[in-house]
This record gives sequence, structure tokens and C-alpha cells, in this order.
Amino acid sequence: MTDGYRQQPGKGSDVRVDGKRVAGKLRFNPPGSGGSRPEMKERDLDFIPELEGGNEAQPAGSHLHDKYRTGTTVGKRTPLVDANAKVTGQAWYGDDVRLPNEIIGRILRSPHHYAKVISIDTSKAEALPGVLAVSTGEDAPQKFGVLPVTKDEHAMAVEKVRHVGDLVACVAAVDEATAREAVSLIKVEYEILDAIHDPKKGLLDVDEPIHWRGKYHIGSTNVQKRVFQEFGDRSKLDQSSATHHGKWKFMGVNHGFTEPHAVVAHWDSNGRLQLYTPQQVPHYAHRALATVLDVPMHQVNVIRTYVGGGFGGKSDPFPHEMCAAILARKAGRPVRITFDREEVFWVNRGRHPSHIEVEMYADDDGRISGFEIDALIDGGGFASFGHVTSYYNGVLATAPYELGSFHYTGARVWTNKPASGAMRGHGAVNTRCAIEVGLDDMADQLQVDPIDLRLANLLPPHSKTITGFRITSNGMRQALNRVREGSGWDEKFRKMPLGKGIGMGCGFFISGSGLPIHWDPNNFPHATVHIQIDMDGGVTVHTGAADIGQGSNTAVAQVVAEVLALPIEMIHVRSHESDTSPVDLGSYSSRVTFMNANAAISAALEIREELLNSASNILEIPVEKLILNDRRIYSKRNPSEGVSYLEALHKSQEDKGALIASGAYRTPPMGGVHKGAAAGLAPAYSFSAYVAEVEVDVETGLIKCTDVWAAHDCGKALNPLAVEGQIIGSCHMGLGQVLSEQMVYGRTGHLQNPNLLDYKIPSVHEMPNVTPIIIESCDPEGPFGAKEAGEGPLLPILPAVVNAVYDAIGIRVNDLPLTPDKIWSAITKKMKLEGIDDPQNLPPPRLDFSELQEKLAARSSEHNDRDVRRQRAEDTEPYINGVLFGFDPNTPPEEQDGDWKISVKPTSEQLDNLRLAGSAWSKIEQRKMEDGK
Amino acid sequence: MVGEEHVSMLPQAPTKIWKAEVNGRQNEILAPSNAILLDVLRDKVGTLGVKRGCDMGTCGCCTVMIDGVPRLSCLTMAFEVQDSKITTVEGLSEGAHLAPIQQCFAEHGGSQCGFCTPGFLIVSQALLNENKSPTDQEVSCAIEGNLCRCTGYQQIIESIQAAAAINRGDVEPAKPASEAHSNPHPSGPN
Ligand code: FES
Ligand code: FES
Repeated sequence: MTDGYRQQPGKGSDVRVDGKRVAGKLRFNPPGSGGSRPEMKERDLDFIPELEGGNEAQPAGSHLHDKYRTGTTVGKRTPLVDANAKVTGQAWYGDDVRLPNEIIGRILRSPHHYAKVISIDTSKAEALPGVLAVSTGEDAPQKFGVLPVTKDEHAMAVEKVRHVGDLVACVAAVDEATAREAVSLIKVEYEILDAIHDPKKGLLDVDEPIHWRGKYHIGSTNVQKRVFQEFGDRSKLDQSSATHHGKWKFMGVNHGFTEPHAVVAHWDSNGRLQLYTPQQVPHYAHRALATVLDVPMHQVNVIRTYVGGGFGGKSDPFPHEMCAAILARKAGRPVRITFDREEVFWVNRGRHPSHIEVEMYADDDGRISGFEIDALIDGGGFASFGHVTSYYNGVLATAPYELGSFHYTGARVWTNKPASGAMRGHGAVNTRCAIEVGLDDMADQLQVDPIDLRLANLLPPHSKTITGFRITSNGMRQALNRVREGSGWDEKFRKMPLGKGIGMGCGFFISGSGLPIHWDPNNFPHATVHIQIDMDGGVTVHTGAADIGQGSNTAVAQVVAEVLALPIEMIHVRSHESDTSPVDLGSYSSRVTFMNANAAISAALEIREELLNSASNILEIPVEKLILNDRRIYSKRNPSEGVSYLEALHKSQEDKGALIASGAYRTPPMGGVHKGAAAGLAPAYSFSAYVAEVEVDVETGLIKCTDVWAAHDCGKALNPLAVEGQIIGSCHMGLGQVLSEQMVYGRTGHLQNPNLLDYKIPSVHEMPNVTPIIIESCDPEGPFGAKEAGEGPLLPILPAVVNAVYDAIGIRVNDLPLTPDKIWSAITKKMKLEGIDDPQNLPPPRLDFSELQEKLAARSSEHNDRDVRRQRAEDTEPYINGVLFGFDPNTPPEEQDGDWKISVKPTSEQLDNLRLAGSAWSKIEQRKMEDGK
Repeated sequence: MVGEEHVSMLPQAPTKIWKAEVNGRQNEILAPSNAILLDVLRDKVGTLGVKRGCDMGTCGCCTVMIDGVPRLSCLTMAFEVQDSKITTVEGLSEGAHLAPIQQCFAEHGGSQCGFCTPGFLIVSQALLNENKSPTDQEVSCAIEGNLCRCTGYQQIIESIQAAAAINRGDVEPAKPASEAHSNPHPSGPN
């Protein structure tokens, strides 16, 4: 063994000690030496679409990027471009940044749930030898927040602390021990206020709401956001032949990324802030830093380190980032703040604890006549992404099914807990679980197979949902069919012995959000990518997309490599620094592949054109007759007539030097006009269907998920290796939420498990066998047809497991996670009710098909043909939600039927019978009170 | 830190000379007698590939090999392992060459965000040193103390099995996505 790892092959041989080749090594001859040897790899026809003369099947039709496929990397299992750094320990995460002269920062956190800060005495801390800076809220009075409409955070407490763990003050000292001691020397006087822990209490008027929003405040409650939506015809719901009523409780869950937050701040000699942070969205942190520190944005350089997992938990601008910058400014030295695991739970931003009620209706044709959803979500102490979450809990339930009506009431309340925020599957996960379980129950009542019930109610490709989302590609049907086959569903469902069960669920998620969160200036693109090629031929790609482990650098490198027909080793993605990367809205909402790869393609196309023109000049062959392949451009007819990539490049560089191109992506205009129409709008949507098999021990209530068949429609898998990794990883995370993970708040409201021992993330032994199935529906606007694969795959696992548990023991528990104690008490309750004395005698559910089953099967096979034609653009008739109910797709349904409504505010009659979250609408906004309305 | 109790962290424990071989290099380092191995490795030896995920033995990111046995460096006192041989992730590669286990983690998706990877690499290398042909169950038992939030473990197990196969000489290592080219800029005869 020798010391360290040398990236550059040195004098040694390029053959490994054991006689094997060196990893991914690409030897380079001196630049300019190309052009004389005809050796080149053959075109890889297996990865060139059949319509372009290759062998890659295209069941979903052609794509506008097909002609740029060169068979280089797209569709191939490609290791991450930064994998070598990760497996050699060279990847530098937040805490690995070591600057000369750095000092250590620590944060003093509130021990109280809710209190006024009367005074802070830092004199003793300041006097401690080794302490270089102490700071409190006074130093940073500016508010910030991830969404411009809800800025409600401070770097440190100004006037109030809002949850245990809220920041009060911070200290920087020569080492950690001194910093810790200094923190303990700060004396704070608090006046304790009445804390709220139960989100239901957040709906009530109180004396001291956690935040005050002035004239926009809703009564004097703690309601941060309320949503009301009503679409379609709800007048005939009481004539339904199946109804489901589910009242759900979801505990909050944390992202549980392995890397705790860490930040290093340094003011350089020109007075610019250099901030190193593992951020998913460096740009938002950049904006917030400029505001809080009161410096222009160009005086701040945000450097994204490697990110040890994000999942939404590193996408807010964080107060500790401000603290580090403030301390560094005061001390005049670089400051590093690293969290311990407990602090990760204090900043949280995990999935909202929720109370969700769903009512669902189906008519005697097995059509879904209505979804009624009410979601009360517990936002904790701050707004974070909550404004959006409040919408997502409803609107992301409007597909993939065609609905007769849709009604959603939602409210997000502040409570005195660490803030909830965005987490993988943002806002969609809990509601999705509730409605997919509801569909299972309705299928039972209608005595039909739940897969057939779904297949007969799907929206086709190129259609519009009830709230006006534009669906483009849609692989839901294939996904359902594939998991049905793969799992042997028809032989197992409702046929297995007690304790063994199989269940399914579907998912639907956005692939990028239609409106950027910050939309000033108005026509700003969502993503921009710059490409630069100098005479050495290496391609530098600048993008602001944050690689958080999902492989966004790899995806961007792949599409550039594909378009330019260069080995991926020649593409160098620079995405670390805001100084050099174009502004990008970061890694959230599953937007990166879709938007950044699109921007990268358009930049690469510019370069491609220049190269082709130069080659055409040299060869005197028209551009259309040239093809690119493996660092060479040559005549289609006679491959020996050609130039090397370098030759063409150098020709293009004549008189101007490096080739530079910029590409941008913006979503097309779309969506409805009602209030909140933009929430949930996306340029494309992903679809997924899972089947899970479980074993339930009826004696103990312990659930073991053994197998999962996971089909996900990601449009086109640019990198199947990464897509499968995302699918399996999503299963893992979702399985945690459904079986074991929860943030437990005790009776006094204190978080009882802020550590990874008591917060139970599934270990390798709890993981089922996952069979990832990739569905490629070829999205017309996606890069090479691709859509998201990072978040959507999480949704279906929860309902699939809950439904499988029902199949195994005939019991539905609507309270996640399904820990053994809950299952066991449900079993005992059922035994008592039905007079069973041994749990082994519980009757597992069985199913006899009704006549409807055949009707559904017939309808779904009819729809199958329709969908295939629409997918391949052979049928381009418009299709809107409602066609299944007899509406004409060419006119909006509200114009066809007087009972068909669109409303985003309750009428006064509706105000009288609102459900839980809906009751937030019974309060009046302050400004309306003043108006006397 | 939550709370306002005054905790005196000073004076520090007296310093002593800590001796150990890290990745084949002898180290003599002055460290407080109560120093934790993880801190010494990260802050003094400079092997930043050893990660701190929880500091309480629950995540496995800090795993290092001590005399061939994987141990959690966050729960190990530095002086407890005085004079031992320590291997961190930085010591796995063979000079310029990735060890098969590293190669396979990269090629089979065993590493996504990569933060857990150093720990996994160490436990799997330790397993493969002992057991040339582990079953999937044995692999699971070896990595059960390590947490990965990204991969769902499946591709990690595949990576380890692939490395085992290479070590046994059963298979050639997989080729990278694009082959190594002898001449990066080939061209036609003109
Ligand atoms: S840091 Fe040692 S186990 Fe987590
Ligand atoms: S790769 Fe991210 S935690 Fe394992």
C-alpha cells in the first residue's frame, strides 16, 4: 500500500498491479496531432434511434433530439463523473474545507419552545481567552426566507425564539472546546410564552401568533397559508356506488442525509464573501446572504462543496450560513461551523406532520366521480417552502386519473417545532398515500381488481388535468402493466395466506416547476449553461445546477458528450461557484435533468454547428452530408473523407480563440388562470406504479417488506444506472416513512429522537428486493425525451405497502409509520370486534369479481389503443379531463355544464361545513377586518 | 448547543505523542490524551476522507480499518489504538490505481452522494479480505452498521459482489463508459 492516490497517471505504467487496466484513463496525444490516423470507434448503433438508422427501439415514437444522437453516452450505464473523487475520499464536503487561519463557530440554541428574548449578555463569553467574535440577532435584523412572499427568518433570534433549537447567538473561537465553553457563558433572559404543538390548535385565534403578517394575517391564528379549490361537478356525489372515507395521520420525517450541515465563511482581501456550503440551491443562499449581510450580490461568491445528500433538506438559505458570515466578518478570519447530528434535527425542513382526510367517490361505471381532500399540515416555526407545500398536498392528486370533481382545502400552520419544508416528493407523498389506499378500498367495494380500476380511469398522454395541468408524455399504463406482469399480481392478489400480502400504488410528480420561485426579471430563464472549448479540445461546461449526489453533473456531461460525439472524459463540468456558474435555480422540484440538460443541449448544438461548418469548409462537403462520431467529423457516404475534431475545432477558432456558447431553458407558457394555478405546473410529469409484497407477523405486528416491483416513467433514461439508483433509493426512503421513521414529539412538545439511533432509518436488513423497471415514454420537450426520476419514485411505495398489509391481514391502519405496536393494537381490536381468539385465525381478505370487472377491462383495452396512438402523435385531438364523463374536449367543461364549477374561495354556505383544515377559511384576514368587510 | 448551563471545557487534557501507522506511513502526533481517533485523523493526520456523520456510532461514515478490523473512529480513543496500523479510504487505492472495490463502487452505482462511501469501502474491503466469496446475506451483515440514505443499499451489495468476483479473478473488470483511446483525435487519411 502506498500513500494517497494520484489522479494523474505518472511515470508508472497504465496497467494495474494485478495486470488490469487503469480506471477510466484516457491518454492524450499533444493537441493538434490528430488528423492523420483513421482509427475511431464504430458508431454504436444500439444507442442510435431506429428512425435515425440505428437499432434502438422507439415504441413511443420519435423525438426532436433524435437527430443529435451519436450513440456516445445517452442511454448507457454511465458511472458518475465524480465517482472517482468519492471512492478515493477526495470529495470535499462542507466540513472538509480547511482554510488557513480558520476558527470554529458554535451556535447557542433556544432551550424553550416559545419565548421572548428579553436580554442577552455576551460579556463573559467575549472575555474568554480564545474567543474572537460573538454575535446576536442585533447584528442581522434583515429577514430572509426561501420564498420571496414568506420571508420570516432571521439569522438569530430577534425578539423571539420559536422552537427548541432556534438560533439565539453564535460564537467563534480558536477551537471547538473554547467555542463550546463560550456559548455556555452567554446569559439569556427569556419570557416564556404559551407554545403550540398541536397543529389543530394552530387554527385557533391566540394572543401571540408565532409570526405576525400584518394586514395579511389570517385572524390572529397561526395559519400561514390556506388553500381552497373546487373543480368539476360535485352535485351528484351522493349517488355514488362506492365511497371511501379515510382519516390519516402522518408523522413528520427528516431527510436523514448522512452529511450534517457545515459551512465555511471567509471574507477575502477585497471584502468579498467566499462562502463554502453544501447547498442544493446556492442561488437562494446567495440572495439571502446579500440581503442579510447588506452587501451587493456580486460581493458574494457561494461555493458549493460536494453535498452529502440533500433530498430537499439543504435547499433553504440557512441561518447558520448567515452566522458564519457574520462571525467571519467580525473576527476577520475564516469561520467554520459544523453541525452535530442533533442540530440537523433542529433545522429540520423535513416532511410536514399532517392530518389528511380524503373522501372519494366512484360511480357505477367504475369512474372516479370525485376526490375531496382536506390537509392540515404542521409547518413548525417558519414558512420555508410551506406556501408551495400547501398547494402540492392537493393539486398533485389531480392525476393520473380522470376525475369527475376535485375539491381541496388545505392549511399550513405555524407551531413551535423545528420548521418543516421540502423533502423528496415535496407535498405530494402523504396525500398520494391516502388516495391510493382509498382507491384500493373502492376497488374492494366495487369488487374489481385495483389495477384494472386504475387502468380504466387514466388520463391519456397529451391531455389536461382537471385543474389545467398540461400532461405531455404519460407512461402510467405501461408502468401498471409491467408491474402487474413482473410481480405475478394476478396469481397473488387476494389469494395469499394470512400474513402474506401484495399491494400496489401509483405516483405522479412534477418534473421541474413551471414558475421559478424568483421571477425577477420577468423573462429570466430557468436554467442557463455555458460551454467553452479552448484549443486543447477539452470541453468546459459551466452550470449552476447543484450536484447533490443525484448525478446532475453526469447528466449534463452526458448530453454534451452525446451532441458533440466526444468521450465523456473530455467534458469537464464546473458547477461549484457562483462566480463562474450562470445563475441556476438549483436542485429541487426535480428540475435539473429536464431544464439543465435542455439548456446544455442548446449550448452544445451551437458548438456542433460551428464545428460542422468548419468541417464542411475544409472538406467541401455540405453540412447535411456530415456526421459526428467519436472525435471525428466525416462524410456519411465515405467515412474515410473526414477531419478530426481538433482540426475542425481549430478551424472554428481561427481569429477568435476559444469557442463559447450559451444555452438557456424556459418553460413554455401553460396552465390556467385561477388563483394558485401555477402551483404544480410543470413542463412534464413523471408517473410510476409499484407493487410491494409484505409479510406481517400477526403475533407481533411486525411488517417486513420483502419484494418491490418498481416501474417509473422517466421519459428516457439518460443513464439507466442512475435512474435505477434513484428508484431503489426512493424505495428506501419511502419505506422508512411507512414503516419506521418518525420525529417523535413528547407530551411537552420536546423532540425525543434527534439522533440516528432513535430516528429509525431502514438498515440494509430492512430493505426489500427491489426490481427497478424503467418506462420510457419519450417526453416531447425533455432532453432526448427525459423527465425526472429523483422524487416521483418515492410516492408509490407508501400506499403499496399499506395496501399490501391489508391484503395480508385485512386491516388498514391510517397512521404512519406502521410500527408493530399500531398494527398489533389494530389486530387485537379486530379480534375483539369479530370474536376471534387467535390472531392466526384472522380471515385474510378475498375477492370475487363483480360484473363491473369485465366492463373495466374492456374500457381499459379501448383506452390502451387510444393512448398508444396519442403517445405516438397519430392522434392529436385535444383531450381534457372530463371526456370520460361525456364532455367535449374542445370547449372548457364549465361552459358545457352549469354545475361544473371552478372556484378558489368558499362561498358563504360552504363556510358553514368546512372540514378540519378548511376551517382556516372561517377566519378573516386583518385587512378585511379593517375594511369592515 | 441547547441550554444555558455553563460547561467548562478547559483546561484540556495533557498532550502526549500518538504513534500509529496510517495508510502505510508512520505518524507521530502530539494529541490530547483524551482525543478521539476521528478528530486526530481528520484534524491532525489530514485524512479527511474519514467522515463524521453522527459522532455517536450510528452511521458508520467514520469507519476505519484498525489492524485489519473495521471500527468506528468516532467511538475510539486515539490512544486506545496507539501503535496500530490504520487504513482509511485514502489508503485503499494502489498507487495511481483504484482498488477493485473502489472501481466497482464507481461503476455499479454504489456511491451516489458519496458521503457514506468511505465507511462502506472500508467495511467491504475488510469483508473481502476475510471472505473471498461472501453470500449476499454475509455482505448485508458486514454493512449492517453503515447507513446509506441515497442508494438503498442494493447497488452497494452489487458493487461488493462485483469486486469480490474481480478479486477472485472470475471476471475482467467492467469497461468504463467510453474506452481508453490510444489516440484521442483520430481522423481520416486526408
Ligand atoms: S460518525 Fe462515527 S458512526 Fe457516525
Ligand atoms: S451515497 Fe449518499 S449516503 Fe450513501
